[in-house]
Amino acid sequence: MKECRIGVYICMCGTNIAKMVDVESVAKFISAVPNVTLVKTYKYMCSNPGQEMIVQDIKQNQLNRIVVAACSPSMHERTFRGALRKAGLNQYLFEMANIREQCSWVHDDPEEATKKAMALTYAAVKRVELHEPLESIFVDMCPNVLVIGGGIAGMTTALELADSGYQVYLVEKDSRLGGNLARVDLTAPYLYSARDLLTERITRVLNNKQIQLHLQSKVTSLSGFVGNFKANIQKQNGQGSTGSKPFEVRIGNIAVCTGYKEFDASRITHYGYGKLPNVITSFELEKMIRSGRIETKEGKVPQYVAIIHCVGSRNLEFHTYCSRVCCMTALKYVHEIKSANPACYVSDIYIDMHAFGKGHEDFYKRSSEVKTLFLMYEKGDRPVIHRAGPKDDCEMLIEVNEKLSGELIEIPADLVVLMVGMEAREDSAEVAHLVNISQDKDGWFIESHPKLEPVATTTDGIFIAGTCVAPKDIPDSVAQARAVAARILAKISRGKIEVDAVYSEVDENVCSGCRFCNKLCPFSAIEYEEEKGHSHIISALCKACGVCVAACPSAAIKGRQFTDSQVIAQIDALISKVEYV
Amino acid sequence: MLYKEVIMAIRVNPRLIDDLERFGAEDVQFCYHCGDCSTVCFHSDQMYRFPRKSMRFLQMGLGRKIETTLEPWLCYYCGQCSEQCPREADPGETMMSLRRWLISRYDITGIARLFFKSLTTEILAVIGVAVLTGAFLLYYGLSQGNFSIYDGEGAFLPSHFIHSFDLLVGACLAVFLLINAVRMWFFVMVRGTSFPVPWWLYLKKLYLMVWHFFSQRRYAECKSTRPTKIFMPWIVHLGLMLGYIIMLVLVMVFIEKLQSGPRIDWSVHIFGYLASVGLIIGTIYFIRKRISRKNYVQYKKSHSTDWVFVILLFMIVLTGICQHIFHRTGLNELANGTYIIHLMAVVPWLLRMPFSKWSHLVYRPLAMYFAEIRRDALERQDAVLPSYSY
Repeated sequence: MKECRIGVYICMCGTNIAKMVDVESVAKFISAVPNVTLVKTYKYMCSNPGQEMIVQDIKQNQLNRIVVAACSPSMHERTFRGALRKAGLNQYLFEMANIREQCSWVHDDPEEATKKAMALTYAAVKRVELHEPLESIFVDMCPNVLVIGGGIAGMTTALELADSGYQVYLVEKDSRLGGNLARVDLTAPYLYSARDLLTERITRVLNNKQIQLHLQSKVTSLSGFVGNFKANIQKQNGQGSTGSKPFEVRIGNIAVCTGYKEFDASRITHYGYGKLPNVITSFELEKMIRSGRIETKEGKVPQYVAIIHCVGSRNLEFHTYCSRVCCMTALKYVHEIKSANPACYVSDIYIDMHAFGKGHEDFYKRSSEVKTLFLMYEKGDRPVIHRAGPKDDCEMLIEVNEKLSGELIEIPADLVVLMVGMEAREDSAEVAHLVNISQDKDGWFIESHPKLEPVATTTDGIFIAGTCVAPKDIPDSVAQARAVAARILAKISRGKIEVDAVYSEVDENVCSGCRFCNKLCPFSAIEYEEEKGHSHIISALCKACGVCVAACPSAAIKGRQFTDSQVIAQIDALISKVEYV
Repeated sequence: MLYKEVIMAIRVNPRLIDDLERFGAEDVQFCYHCGDCSTVCFHSDQMYRFPRKSMRFLQMGLGRKIETTLEPWLCYYCGQCSEQCPREADPGETMMSLRRWLISRYDITGIARLFFKSLTTEILAVIGVAVLTGAFLLYYGLSQGNFSIYDGEGAFLPSHFIHSFDLLVGACLAVFLLINAVRMWFFVMVRGTSFPVPWWLYLKKLYLMVWHFFSQRRYAECKSTRPTKIFMPWIVHLGLMLGYIIMLVLVMVFIEKLQSGPRIDWSVHIFGYLASVGLIIGTIYFIRKRISRKNYVQYKKSHSTDWVFVILLFMIVLTGICQHIFHRTGLNELANGTYIIHLMAVVPWLLRMPFSKWSHLVYRPLAMYFAEIRRDALERQDAVLPSYSY
């Protein structure tokens, strides 16, 4: 093996590291370690001058291994790997020692922290000696896309991709397109007709030759990895029974836009939903509005309408989250009811009025203008609905502790509208399992980063948009749908995808074919090759978590960049009796 | 005996807000209860919090609740709340409207309500009373006196007759005001006070009624939280009020001395002149404010009843002065003519008082008085039951 010439760079991170770790002592200590050719400290190693310094040193001093003692590798490993590439050195001949998050930030004794920084850097040096040059692999990207769900989000993604010239398979479980939006009359706050919004989309989807639409269908199986998925689409006949032969498609990416379902109001007994005939859900009111007549079950025009917010939302018993759209939808009902019958009195019974979006606050004010009676109740409290007495001029009375007046009041009502929240669909777990993504405690699909990666998932090639991720309104769903399309188009335009060279490999000569690892892999990256009788790791799917490496009873699996010798060298260095002075 | 309250749900009435619109509260529905108004109000305190809470009761239509509250009377409409309101819900004007509404609620006859809601009715009533008064005086004067004699033997309207006439009108006024005041007491101190009030507190606090009546101290206090000087309106209002009172006393007690002439009897006339100056300055000041509508929020909106009041008052002052001059200069026919016109304005103006905003002359000092009695009574209650909070 060629002589090791290691360059060690110790970052002060402004004062983040330097205030707790004596970087000069660390540098002095490391310079005495064998094979270390050069040690430097710098204020901000990740800065352009810092990186340039590394590049120049590699060239001038023929360095062939680099250690940077700085922050977490999840922060800047990519940055420094780039510096190595720029200097013409294989980017894997590099190791980071985390002396910030795992050292200076968490300790308060400078002396001990400095010793720990020495140990961590020393271990990194010992490890990097054993690093080998690795090459990334490239796989082809199939440009076809599968979109699951034909609501506003699914159709938007499909149209965006199809308009760019790519083949899209749009799978919808229902017999029609439009999803939940098709059940809505007007939209808040601008009172655009939902039907108009949808008709345009649906017509375009139906007329687009690049979109192959599968109604009343389900994706029954999915295999492969990013760029090379295979999916089976099956037509559903009647009660979920399988009908015709599954239709197999090849795709490179998948957009999951499966939407939400509304909360079942009969789960709350206080409101008497299902027992009192004129207590209805928001979707039942939508239906009435669309049919053109708001009336009680007895066919009378209601004189008093009461709207109750947060039904199933924002309480410990059902869902703790806010469903985001109900407040504005309730105000929309105020306008719709008042325009249908200006003499009608509308009470809006809420916990908080969330008017956060564009145009929402103005819409709220306009709802005050028409003399809506806004009544506030305490979170955790609940209005109770009774039947009114024979002398009352209304059908029902709602009793509630009104927060803004401090009075216990009763509100007359002929029709009570329950603003039911959004919840994850009952088949969301099935979908999550199919495409191998995770769900949170409420059943919503989890994005790979809530702020920076809102539509990607932890599985490459699987994207999520709309209300299957969390409750959201139409503009947000459409924005996400277009974001998904943009992400997929970016992937397609590269033609090939680069797969990180850090992945696990099975030594086929050693593997006994016990298939123990197949079940353990959290990324479904291991497949069993029947004819050869051993397991195979799909490198494009592998995230190098190391579970299979640890689990393999025959030690047949090797983690690249995490070989036994490398890891043991690092541990040995940490526990060896070195004098840290 | 331990005090215990049984909490019953109160029915909301979404119609009340429509009703109050006729009394001037046009923007109350915009309020979203940030509470800025109550924070900025100088008079709002721990026990009497307003205007937000009054706005809330109004939005919810808790009429029976508002009836029992004193808060609208504790507000002097400095307008700071309306200036601060982020939603332009005009809390100051709402309090003003609530005062009008309360006047209509205290009034047992329902006339106040009619006047506040319909300007036409009010004008017709004023004209009706004026015509009746004029006809009666003309008939009386012609039947027993001489149109060219103003005072003394054979006078067209002899002063002893006018004295009796004034006392009759005054008695009517007093009866109505007394009944309304009793109703106010019943609403506030009986129905609206859930804790016991010892009788001697009424005696102990009686001085407050007199003090507030003559000083209008709380109006002056409004200025302390304002950058602009509200001190001026307080002085003018005080002058106007003292003008009324002096005039009322002169007319009710000293009318016979006042009417004798043509020599000027300075022992009574000096008061008459002073009162006239107060009334003229005050009236012009407030009319100008109402017309220009600048500077003060409180003059931005004028209710129709406000205008009836000032116009009648202006007529009274004008005809009163004319009549005085005509008499002193020997123009007895003109003096008698203007006297009839003067009385045609005075009688409806006085009789209208218990049914109009003017009655705040009685309700405001009463409210301060009741408010302090309640505060004292509650403090005594707290000493017994410290956990109870109002």
